[in-house]
Amino acid sequence: MTGMPGGLRAVLKWMPSAVGVLVLAGAALAQAFETQIYDPNTRQWVDYTPKAAARFYNRHGQSPKEFRRQVVQFRTAEKPGTIIIDGDRHFLYLVQPNFQAIRYGIGVGRDGFGWAGIVKVGRKQEWPTWTPPPEMIARDPESAKWAGGMPGGPDNPLGARAMYLYVGNKDSIYRIHGTNQPWTIGLNISSGCIRLNNEDVSDLYSRVEVGAKVIVLMQGAALYKGV
Amino acid sequence: MRIGAAAIGLTIASFSCPAHAADVVIGVPAWPSAQVTAHIIADTLKDRLGIETELRERGTLTILSEVGRGNIQVHPEVWLPNLTDLVEKLAEQEKVLRLSPHGVAATQNICATRETLDQTGIKAVADLAKPEMAAKFDSDGDGKGEIWIGAPTWSSTEIEKIRAHSYGYDRTMTLLEMPEDVAMAGVDAAVSLGRPIVFYCYGPHHVFQLHDVVMLEEPPYDPSRWTLVKRAEDSAWLEKSHADTAWDASEFHVAYAASLETERPDAASFLSAIELGPEDITAMSYAVVVEGRPVEDVAKDWIAQNEDRIGEWTK
Repeated sequence: MTGMPGGLRAVLKWMPSAVGVLVLAGAALAQAFETQIYDPNTRQWVDYTPKAAARFYNRHGQSPKEFRRQVVQFRTAEKPGTIIIDGDRHFLYLVQPNFQAIRYGIGVGRDGFGWAGIVKVGRKQEWPTWTPPPEMIARDPESAKWAGGMPGGPDNPLGARAMYLYVGNKDSIYRIHGTNQPWTIGLNISSGCIRLNNEDVSDLYSRVEVGAKVIVLMQGAALYKGV
Repeated sequence: MRIGAAAIGLTIASFSCPAHAADVVIGVPAWPSAQVTAHIIADTLKDRLGIETELRERGTLTILSEVGRGNIQVHPEVWLPNLTDLVEKLAEQEKVLRLSPHGVAATQNICATRETLDQTGIKAVADLAKPEMAAKFDSDGDGKGEIWIGAPTWSSTEIEKIRAHSYGYDRTMTLLEMPEDVAMAGVDAAVSLGRPIVFYCYGPHHVFQLHDVVMLEEPPYDPSRWTLVKRAEDSAWLEKSHADTAWDASEFHVAYAASLETERPDAASFLSAIELGPEDITAMSYAVVVEGRPVEDVAKDWIAQNEDRIGEWTK
């Protein structure tokens, strides 16, 4: 698709990995995808695994170009300010005027429950506090020390900003947030919600208003319950 | 197409409901052209004929049923053949419903973007039953393609399930039911990324203005190959039903309570005279959905631009 830093030209394609999901609004089954990148030096498709992603990030200091913030053509009937999330492709679109959108790379949940439907941004928070859910504490005793809430900061898994997704006036428990693991963009690895790198989530945060419509595509429903 | 209750609370526009009793209650289904038409009817009844109206947001089936019960007097957009059975029951057997004689020609198809045809070689709806073709529309990695067949509450969705079963692509494709906004955003994203997509489509609709959309080929409508058994009436509805040709020519009409002919003959006369064209419907849909303009404003502008036509209809 496009050139990569360091002369590596990467092409992305999407390979499936079955993940069962719960779909909001009663319909589609959606599953998560794993990405592959094409390395022209070896002429091989390489799984964009967590290891490969970390290696790429270490080498280039950023994610592959496809996952970097960029303005794309996007003809839509949705109003500017609407967010459209395509979890399968690891993209979040913020609709702009003149049939354009800002496209951000995202990381989504590695498995668990996902959904598709229409929600809205109900609340925004800078440097949000993170509270591990009980299931995570049970799974990872290390997280128990934050049972009362981990203050916002660079080590906080929610990253620099969080946008809380509401169904009507009720918190859905899903969030769009930053990350302290920027190499996970483009992967189905996060232990929750939709993550952007901190620079991107700050950019998105500055552009999105409370009340913004958020559409989660039915084929792109690889979201993880909780954080 | 769109039949029944609104899909998701967040997507529903709100309408004012006056507290006092109205002379004419107008049902407002959950899609833009019907909403604008409902407002045009309400404004015209009030401004030209001095009739107090109330706009009542309901699903299409509910509105028609309420007309049958005398609680609602107007349905702005009744789709045929989707609601043929109920319309026949109310209009011909019970004689409580009238359809305006002026229908708007409509279409119901399976569509793809033109780029999809180039990428996949698909031409016909029947091609979707071929596993190797269906796999080209696989977006979730289960080996089957995905196709949006409509919103859960639309009557067309049940018929699209029958069509998928009859053509055989319910075995090769996952049939997705979702609110229209989610489906259309999926089309937008597919176009932006240059990826193939197939979906149920109806017209008049703004998607034909927004994207280069092509209707997949089908054998022409053949009534001998359409047998529809309703899910509500028979648990074996899918097996007993069959529909493997194109939809019959579709159209929609303004419908109103027969009682208006005696109670408010001026209103009945106006409602039976309303004659909208596909270009009116597309413009309404585009103004509301793409341009994001309030339904009320679009209706008022349409009235201002069509005073002569309304004058004819209210003579």
